[in-house]
Amino acid sequence: MTPEQRHFAYELITNPPPGSKLAEAKAYGIDLTLLVENLELSVAERWARLYAFESFLEKLRPSVTVKHE
Amino acid sequence: MIPDPRRVITVLNKADVEYVVIGGVAMVAHGSARTTLDMDVCYRRSKENIEKLSEALQPFHPRLRGAPADLPFRFDARTIQAGLNFTLFTDLGDLDFLGEVSGIGSFEAVLDASEINQVAGIECRILSLSGLIRAKQAAGRNKDLNAIHELEALRDLKKRTGL
Repeated sequence: MTPEQRHFAYELITNPPPGSKLAEAKAYGIDLTLLVENLELSVAERWARLYAFESFLEKLRPSVTVKHE
Repeated sequence: MIPDPRRVITVLNKADVEYVVIGGVAMVAHGSARTTLDMDVCYRRSKENIEKLSEALQPFHPRLRGAPADLPFRFDARTIQAGLNFTLFTDLGDLDFLGEVSGIGSFEAVLDASEINQVAGIECRILSLSGLIRAKQAAGRNKDLNAIHELEALRDLKKRTGL
């Protein structure tokens, strides 16, 4: 992503063109900043982050207990 | 748990399996912020490809996810030929192999709707944003509505910025 593309992308997600899919998604509650952050990464980096995050959650799982009232 | 997608595509490529990465892992490849617990792959249902897929996964001890541990199961060519979609637990992680994708169709249609990507020097085919949107629309579940909005936003953002 070039600096110009980054600047334009943040402009778009801050003020999405009315009637656009970006505007619809923002109104629906999608966090568009996360999408731009992800687009700054390569596919390999996006997959590596996904795998690292899920592996971290997997390690936490045995220590999580659900308390029933 | 989710397998390392880079490892899975390395294994499949090494065995010369014809496949397309679909589902949540494909969404993340396109920039989605979602997470997923498994990796979905669409495979060509030719005799040759089914044999390659079976052999590629054998070292990773595939077994049916959610089935009783003592249920006899072999992910061999005969089993794959007799079935279509398989949800597996493997030593690599949780892998789903689908013979077709709702909203798109058979492997050939999925292949047409895919793009070639270079992932850390490894070539693989990933379902396109438009293909993912079609698949999510066909699934029609409540949780897919969120995914459709996100995917359409990504497609819009990429188109407008030239990414």
